[in-house]
Amino acid sequence: MASREIAQYPSASRRVFGVVTILFIAFYLLWTLLPLLIMFLSSFKDLLDAFQLPATGDWGGVATLFTFEPTTKHYENLFLELNFGTYLGNSLIASLGSAGISVVLGSMAAYSLSRLDFRGKNHLFFWIISTRMAPVVAVLVPLYAIFRSLDLIGTLPGLILAYTTFNLPFAIWILKGFFDNVPYAIEEASMCDGSTRLQALRMILPLVAPGIGAFLVLCVLFGWNDYLFSSIIGSGGAKTLPPATIGLVQPQNIQWGSIMAAGAVTTVPMLFLGVLIRRYLVAGLTMGAVRE
Amino acid sequence: MTDQVVGDTGRGSRGSARLAAAEAASPSGVRTIDYTPQRFNPTPSRRYYFYMMAPSIILLAGISIYPFIWLVYMSLHTLGEAGQPDVWNDFKNFTRFATDGKFQQGWLLLIKYSAMCMVLEVGLGVFLAVILNRSKLEKFLVTLILMPMMMAPIITGLVWLFLYNGAFGWYHWLLQSIGILGATSVLGDSDIAMFGLVAVDVWQWTPLITLITLAGLKRVPQDQLEANMVDGAGPVRNFFTVAMPNIYPFLLIAVLLRFMDNFRFIDAILILTGGGPGDATNILPVYLFDVSFQYFKLGRGAAVALTLLLVTIVLGMLLVKIFEDPKRKIKVHGGDEG
Repeated sequence: MASREIAQYPSASRRVFGVVTILFIAFYLLWTLLPLLIMFLSSFKDLLDAFQLPATGDWGGVATLFTFEPTTKHYENLFLELNFGTYLGNSLIASLGSAGISVVLGSMAAYSLSRLDFRGKNHLFFWIISTRMAPVVAVLVPLYAIFRSLDLIGTLPGLILAYTTFNLPFAIWILKGFFDNVPYAIEEASMCDGSTRLQALRMILPLVAPGIGAFLVLCVLFGWNDYLFSSIIGSGGAKTLPPATIGLVQPQNIQWGSIMAAGAVTTVPMLFLGVLIRRYLVAGLTMGAVRE
Repeated sequence: MTDQVVGDTGRGSRGSARLAAAEAASPSGVRTIDYTPQRFNPTPSRRYYFYMMAPSIILLAGISIYPFIWLVYMSLHTLGEAGQPDVWNDFKNFTRFATDGKFQQGWLLLIKYSAMCMVLEVGLGVFLAVILNRSKLEKFLVTLILMPMMMAPIITGLVWLFLYNGAFGWYHWLLQSIGILGATSVLGDSDIAMFGLVAVDVWQWTPLITLITLAGLKRVPQDQLEANMVDGAGPVRNFFTVAMPNIYPFLLIAVLLRFMDNFRFIDAILILTGGGPGDATNILPVYLFDVSFQYFKLGRGAAVALTLLLVTIVLGMLLVKIFEDPKRKIKVHGGDEG
């Protein structure tokens, strides 16, 4: 924390503190990465290997975690027999579609909210964000009824709409912050030069494009990871990866190998996306309250 | 008479035509310019903005106000089955709360669960942030530790179910080897199951607290730290007297968000214990899920949901208040980059 300019002399206590911090970081990394590591390793293991455990207290037995014949049969099982390719496609279409709609509609609304002042604007704004904060379980029953009356249960458009229920308020809330950062003078100047209102909006889009891109990714992430909506609204024709994975948990036969493989398939793309938009992650996950 | 207006090229062709017309119209040869700029670039009307807002507002209204009205309706009626009319039931769904042990226990467990998660996550997260903030490898380490956050909660639940398994779970083995765990498995013991769930939540969401705290720590004014050090404060004291007040509002937001997420995301809990063993981890959202989707008591479920919604809205208002409090140093919208 201390400024770099202040000379810091290595003292005994400082050295001890240094060692403690390194130990702590090492321990924390282990704690964070171990479940992921075990997931990936188990997905490549034969079930007999995956269930191997050393005897209690046998610390040398940790090696059994790493000694196994790698096999890709769980992945083959997923994609060749259990139809996971379709579910993967559904996941992709639903999360991308919903992210696209949310970002387009959201940026239109956010732009207007950012440029326009009217009475009750704050109330409107709070209402928008409260639709996002509402517990999913609480609104699931009425939503199901609505979707059923629209004949959207078990269809991809239905699922896209369902994801939009939580992505859209989020997109409006976040993107408004981005539009607030762009001075109105830019649009004014371009309109003085004769552009129409829509052309003026197009002038400022490149300025907010990085933000919009990042939140597109974030919306994809939320849609991809969703379980409750896709299991209930999407049940039947529009199964996505999370409910499909849960489908592998059968009371008498939990297919752990395939579950771990499905977990890996679901997780890996999101890990990459997360690294990609790391800079916007804090703002995204705190609904824009905290900027890095 | 017919000389060109200087600079009138390109886009102005329409203007020049108008000018020519104006010239032709003036009989004395005096040039009158009939040109009103406002007609070409008017300030956008309010209606234009409202039109752009409309699709989102309508969509959101459809998926929030309508379900809400429905929820209120359901909570006030005994729903008739298969074609029977719904019957007004004199707030029975609400008065039942007084005697509904599971409902009260659900709230208590939810508070207990959330409190344990918060304390551990904030403690670990802040400590980690302070350490990472001094580290040269910050970028790399942060990328590593935020991985759990990207995982679907349902997958997290499944992976931890595997780890906790009494027969072949590595964490089961680890805990037994250390000597913490007896013969029972983590999720099978009603005393320990709650801690098992807390561990999962801590694993997945501590990085969020760390990220937010890191963002806060970057904003701690260096001169204050230095002044404090000149006055003789050590690093610990420096942290609590200078850094802490600066990152406090950030932490508050993080905690409120996590608290609301505990209301929202029960995927992992549904998979790990489903509220059991017994009712040891039957926190309110799980109870609500059971009432609505296992027993299909939709009216009662709606009443429970309304209480949950009410608390969420109060928390949300609190959150927005913190967002917009000018005294705190958070810039809600319009941070220094973005």
